[in-house]
Amino acid sequence: MTALHPLFALFIFPAGLFLILISFFIEWLDRKLIARFQNRMGPRLLQPIADIFKLLAKEEIVPIGVHRTLFMALPIFAFACVMTASLYVPFFGFQAAWNIRGDLIITMYLLSAMTVCLGMAGTNSINRFAVVGATRTLTQLFAYEGPFMLALLMPALVAQSWTISHIAEYASNHTWMIVTQPIGFIVAIIGLIGKLELPPFDAPEAEQEIVSGALSEYSGRGFGLFKIAKNVELVIGLALITVFYLGGIASPLLFSIKMLILLCVIALMQSTLTRLRIDQTVGLWWQAGAILSLAQLLIIILVRVR
Amino acid sequence: MTENTIDSNKSQKYIVPIGPQHPALKEPGHFEFTVDGEIVVDASIRLGYVHRGVEKAAESRSWTQVLYLVERVCGICSHAHGTAFIQNAEALAGIEIPPRAKVIRAIAGEIERLHSHLLWLGVAAHEGGFDAMFMYSWRDREIVMDILENFFGNRVNYSVNIPGGVKEDITPEFAEQFRKKLDFLEKRLKHYLDVVNTDATFRARTVNIGTLGKEEMTRLGATGPTARSAGITRDIRVDRPYSGFDIYPINLILDDHGDLNARFVVRLKECFESIRYIKEVLDKIPESELTVKFPRKIPTGESMSSVEAPRGELFYFVRSNGTESPDRVKVRTASLCNWGTIVSAVAKGHKLADMPMILAGIDPCFSCNDRMVNIVGRGKDAQLWTWEQLRKYGIEYHSMHEGFNVSDCGIEQLREEK
Repeated sequence: MTALHPLFALFIFPAGLFLILISFFIEWLDRKLIARFQNRMGPRLLQPIADIFKLLAKEEIVPIGVHRTLFMALPIFAFACVMTASLYVPFFGFQAAWNIRGDLIITMYLLSAMTVCLGMAGTNSINRFAVVGATRTLTQLFAYEGPFMLALLMPALVAQSWTISHIAEYASNHTWMIVTQPIGFIVAIIGLIGKLELPPFDAPEAEQEIVSGALSEYSGRGFGLFKIAKNVELVIGLALITVFYLGGIASPLLFSIKMLILLCVIALMQSTLTRLRIDQTVGLWWQAGAILSLAQLLIIILVRVR
Repeated sequence: MTENTIDSNKSQKYIVPIGPQHPALKEPGHFEFTVDGEIVVDASIRLGYVHRGVEKAAESRSWTQVLYLVERVCGICSHAHGTAFIQNAEALAGIEIPPRAKVIRAIAGEIERLHSHLLWLGVAAHEGGFDAMFMYSWRDREIVMDILENFFGNRVNYSVNIPGGVKEDITPEFAEQFRKKLDFLEKRLKHYLDVVNTDATFRARTVNIGTLGKEEMTRLGATGPTARSAGITRDIRVDRPYSGFDIYPINLILDDHGDLNARFVVRLKECFESIRYIKEVLDKIPESELTVKFPRKIPTGESMSSVEAPRGELFYFVRSNGTESPDRVKVRTASLCNWGTIVSAVAKGHKLADMPMILAGIDPCFSCNDRMVNIVGRGKDAQLWTWEQLRKYGIEYHSMHEGFNVSDCGIEQLREEK
């Protein structure tokens, strides 16, 4: 895929427009699946796109008491973060648009930066719901980030490379890592739910308590960009887990099927579990998540030393 | 759980306002939670956004019209309101409704309880972020709504009561249909009870949350399932059986944990009891007329009646002055009694995330407890009375007008026994 013009790769395929469209499809499927699990009809196929068009066309209201530049810049920055991260991730059976040494670290950093943007967006506001939401977002970041990062680093340890493409290559040529590192897989997929603030880890945007959490004051374009950023983050997360744990890049069809199965699992968890309080979330991650992933790490190190 | 470990710094009060317009609230109300991080250190409540002046409106309508008016005090427990009012009117008019009408009233009340509890189950689960339960319980609630629609012709405000009896008869064919639907509903309810008792994440949000002991509950005057979840044996259907419950008694459902989970369990078990009651009574509804004649004018007098609404004791006081319309109608709904259990006792020390569920735990109904209070304090003819003065006045008033001494009724004895 090196023949692609860099600008084409950046704006059209595999990152850019293609990715955004795919992310709308994934969002639709996620909503539809949850709706069907909950005995509802769910949205129509084009609903997420319609939502975004409506949001982007609407007036953006800047509330009193915020730092204006920051308020306008944060959604763009968050969007830029995930779009940049997507350049290093192989999607749908195609090689990543770009790869450099250590791009796994860059990707994870950019994904965390997106969450930090959310936190900043909340604390920038004087809205009380937004501030409480931002506090929860950042608290949750510290809860899942460690175990989630470890879960993505363990395949790197086994493949002895920090480059996503190399790990993907290693994964395609060896036994699926879901078999060799089951704990890592479970931590990774639950970590992804936490990262995206989906139920049951949606305390940062629990509508019954704090309306829309950190994004309470956002409207129009800013909110739309955050929404796209979150959707793309979901696709990136799913792609990373699929590549690492479910047998590498494979063919476009196989990759899509694996990714959709993962999505089903996530949707099922979203619809069957009750929202956890933020203290329960933190407790769960540090008591179970961190210890489990450390145990997995220990196993990997022991096996490798021998 | 409720121990207060916070050194509240008064200068750094951080208040999270909820309402009057908020996604968690289905009706307008205003709550202010002072939080320290995630922990609530203080809570206050302000109601009255949906005051409609029903009590005053009742004074300018005829007895029949008032019956339909009070059914609209609450959209969920409309039958309870109608029953409580019309029992007063019938007592004042000195008529006894036929036994068949009585039993049909009881059955309608139990159907209402089923739909109210299922509605609450969904809302309470939704407040805790468990939307699957919300969707499923509301889907199954449609069965009850269908029964109501098929039988009484309306999904809400079904107006079973008419002055002097009931509107519709339960035919054997209908009873057969009815039973089938209830069988299905019972299966679903068993599943929900299972979820409430076993689901780990759900229990993490309900067990030991909002706990209130028996004494606290009694002191704060809780009623209905909220009180029964703490082991208080208080149920008007059992204590002072009215309409059909004196013919066929119903069982009291109790739980002694007093926490949110107990409120789920009590309400679900009450649903089972309602289903059992309806099924049993359907077989043996006494044969009689459905109505008796109700006079246009009702003799002078006062009457009180209580009905066990789905939320607790619903109390009606009616005074007649011998005309075509009541002189005074006083309503006291169950939600009003239960608010105290949230604000003054439970809220403090809990996490902000528990607040919506604790609020929903008493099954609050805002519009039916909103009322106007006129405080006369600064004027010349100030009427600020102490409790003792008020009590003295009450005893004197009753001994003068009614010819009996209230202090002889055993209230003193009860107090001493305590």
